[in-house]
Amino acid sequence: MKPSPPGASTDRRTMLRLLGLGAAATMGGATLTACSKEAGSKGSATKADAIRSVLPTHRPAELLKPDIPGEGPIPDGYLNYPRQLVDAVTEQPGRGGGAIRTMSPWWGPTPPTLGNNSYLAAVNAKLGVEVNPSLQDGTTYADKLNAMLGARDVPDLLSVPNWEVDKVARFSDAVKALFEDLTDHLRGDAAAKYPYLAALPTGAWEYSVWGGRLAAVPFPTDGPFAWALFHRKDLVDKAGLATPTTPDELHELGKKLTDPGKGVWAFGSVFDMVQQFFGCQQTWRKKPGGGLEHKFENPAYRAALEFTARLFSDGLVHPDTVASKGADEKQLFKAGKIILFQDGLGAWQGMQGEQSKVLPSFAMQPLPVFGTGGGPAVVWGSEKPVFFTFLKKGLGAERVAELLGVLNWCAAPFGSREFELREYGVDGRHFTRAADGSPVPTELGRKELGAQYTHIGGRVPVKVRSGDTPNFVRDYLDYYQKNIGLLEKDLFAGIKLELPANWSKIIQPTEDKIRDILRGRRPIGDLDRVTKDFLASGGEEGRAFFEKALADNGR
Amino acid sequence: MSAPGTVGVVDAPAAGQPPPPGPRRPRGRGGRPRPRATLRARLRRDWPLLAMTAPAAALLLVFHYLPTLGNIIAFQDYNPFVGDDPVEAFLRSEWIGFGNFEALFADPLFWDAVRNTLTITTFQIVFFFPLPILLAILLNSLVSGRMRGFVQSVVYLPHFFSWVLVVTFFVQMLGGAGLLAQEMREAGLQPWNVMTNPDTFILLVTAESVWKDVGWGAIVFLAALAAIDTNLYEAAAADGAGRWRRLWHITLPGLRPVIVLLLIMRLGDALSVGFEQFILQREAVGRDAAEVLDTFVYYQAIATQQWGLGAAAGLFKAVVGLILIVAANKIAHRLGEQGVYSAS
Repeated sequence: MKPSPPGASTDRRTMLRLLGLGAAATMGGATLTACSKEAGSKGSATKADAIRSVLPTHRPAELLKPDIPGEGPIPDGYLNYPRQLVDAVTEQPGRGGGAIRTMSPWWGPTPPTLGNNSYLAAVNAKLGVEVNPSLQDGTTYADKLNAMLGARDVPDLLSVPNWEVDKVARFSDAVKALFEDLTDHLRGDAAAKYPYLAALPTGAWEYSVWGGRLAAVPFPTDGPFAWALFHRKDLVDKAGLATPTTPDELHELGKKLTDPGKGVWAFGSVFDMVQQFFGCQQTWRKKPGGGLEHKFENPAYRAALEFTARLFSDGLVHPDTVASKGADEKQLFKAGKIILFQDGLGAWQGMQGEQSKVLPSFAMQPLPVFGTGGGPAVVWGSEKPVFFTFLKKGLGAERVAELLGVLNWCAAPFGSREFELREYGVDGRHFTRAADGSPVPTELGRKELGAQYTHIGGRVPVKVRSGDTPNFVRDYLDYYQKNIGLLEKDLFAGIKLELPANWSKIIQPTEDKIRDILRGRRPIGDLDRVTKDFLASGGEEGRAFFEKALADNGR
Repeated sequence: MSAPGTVGVVDAPAAGQPPPPGPRRPRGRGGRPRPRATLRARLRRDWPLLAMTAPAAALLLVFHYLPTLGNIIAFQDYNPFVGDDPVEAFLRSEWIGFGNFEALFADPLFWDAVRNTLTITTFQIVFFFPLPILLAILLNSLVSGRMRGFVQSVVYLPHFFSWVLVVTFFVQMLGGAGLLAQEMREAGLQPWNVMTNPDTFILLVTAESVWKDVGWGAIVFLAALAAIDTNLYEAAAADGAGRWRRLWHITLPGLRPVIVLLLIMRLGDALSVGFEQFILQREAVGRDAAEVLDTFVYYQAIATQQWGLGAAAGLFKAVVGLILIVAANKIAHRLGEQGVYSAS
């Protein structure tokens, strides 16, 4: 089959290249306007259909029956840790190739590197090949990624979070130029060679297709919600305060919890969650009469903005959140200096386990989602895979097979020795066992593990009870089951969007202005102006682009 | 700067005059120019010097001159992913003439950033630039060498802190949950918001720069001060000149060439006021106060991968800097200063 990239926008460039060359060569300064052209991609949207033929055949590889079976995007839950583990991979994936350089995101202190890290040594010994991970701060991952892609200098295995993919201009060009086409290795029954990759859900694979070809190994989501509003339940209970069920009660709660004299403020960053409470869409929603409505045009957004701005002006937000870019809210939250802040649900189990050692009463819980004024809340999220792992182009079929073998090992399911080693390290060294047999990380384990193998491997997501977070699995799955009905439908699911340059360019200046309103540097009334400017200088172009993408896919 | 060798105090040229011309071309005994040595002869004679400059020249070539070629993307709709390698990407990206420059100059955000940058530069030239000179003079007047060494170490060490540290330090000290604010709360006062006030942001960034770099900046002036002939001071004191007269007539003229040199260099950098310092504090005071040219380029060109636009902004900066340097140097020559390079 000839790879046909639907919707690619390279033809314009190739045709005009020679013209442009000639023009540039003959052009003097005086003819500046006459010969100039506008830079920047106009964007492209790839159709969602016509990808089924390249997907791997799905073959479930479940070793243990879950206690709480997952539904759709909600992962399986296990309340007991198995006493007996099995070997999932019998053949070492290493084929004598050189060290495998990887890059993946990590949100936490950087673990020691290869050579000083006994966890890496232990896993590499099992793999039979040296994996040399480079972990980058997840919050600034784009900085590194942009430079790396721009310089066309990528590691053997590169993990790219889905939200970064959307930001990279001409990403499909990058995929074609820099990454290996995996179609022939994994299409259909060929995937049976890598049983744990074949076990990844087909829905996740669907997202891994660029230009009609399979280009990456997905890391399926372990829950589609983008954010939760976490609160220190122990501190709220201690103050004898009730869980809020309306925005006003939330504001009231904030007032009661804030005590600057003790260095305590109620809130860190919360704006994304507040928008969801007010029932505002993440970006676009369909208008009843057809067409798309941007969230700035939704009155719910204005209400959420007004509410959050009031939290700032009433002095209920921690000054570090106000004063610096990316204040370390996790630290402030752990120390009880802020009581409520938004974070991804992935942060929950690790922090709860770590802190319960420091403070046994530590209780981190997502605030129950509530709506306002009779309207229901909307929960943002997506069923997209969290990360995509790309293989560097041009390494040769043998090396690709070796790398896929490593990824297969890294995707070994719960109940296997490989899973335990990957997730918890070496027994007695990186973790000890609680009375029920479940692993409890040691100091060394927390220091040396940074999802070095997990974040590149993809894996069938599960939630497992651990000795230091006995209630976590139930709490986590309860939260999802309660709120999954509120999950906003992803209008563009399965469509590969490459956003127009003018749209990408207007995002930051607009966010700057919204932030000015939040922090009280501009009045709330300026939202109309901000919206108008936004729509005029890229917003409308964006609307047309997104509407066309929907129309082209018959949605 | 220093008076040449053994000449008496009275005959010494005033400090600040151009140094005597460098060694002349060797002449034959009869005073006629010797025939030019052959290339090979000169190579044999000078090879140690050439060998010593080679690494620096290579560095310059690889890290400055070679990347300069990349500026062609300012005239392209640059797509790093076309072709099979980076060189092909340069050659095969679409040429769009001055399209990037037009987009840049038509963007009001760009001019906001330029205005902010120039305001901050001007402010800092007036209020920051003289401080290292003052500090150097003060340090130089300390009699105790140990005391001087101690103070010097303390004030120049912050130069080695990263901006992240400096900004965090200021937040911890002056921020809303910082030391000062908590002390004021305990004293029953209303804390002031130094870190988040856009109106006083220029004072804040200048204060941070001063704290970080004033000691470092003083080093070069201290060196210049050390080069002033102490005999001049003795002679002036013997003639009855007081402390202020000596400062005015000996110290400052002695420093003048260095001051002019550094001022010209600073002007060449007029459109750069730093990057990290501003990106770190941008959310605290908002774009209107904190957007400078470098953060504009970051957000509008790097973060959105409009590489061509970023290169165009970089070229604009370089051209403006070059014009300022040449102009300032011309003015310096008119005023009888030596400037960055001598008039030919």
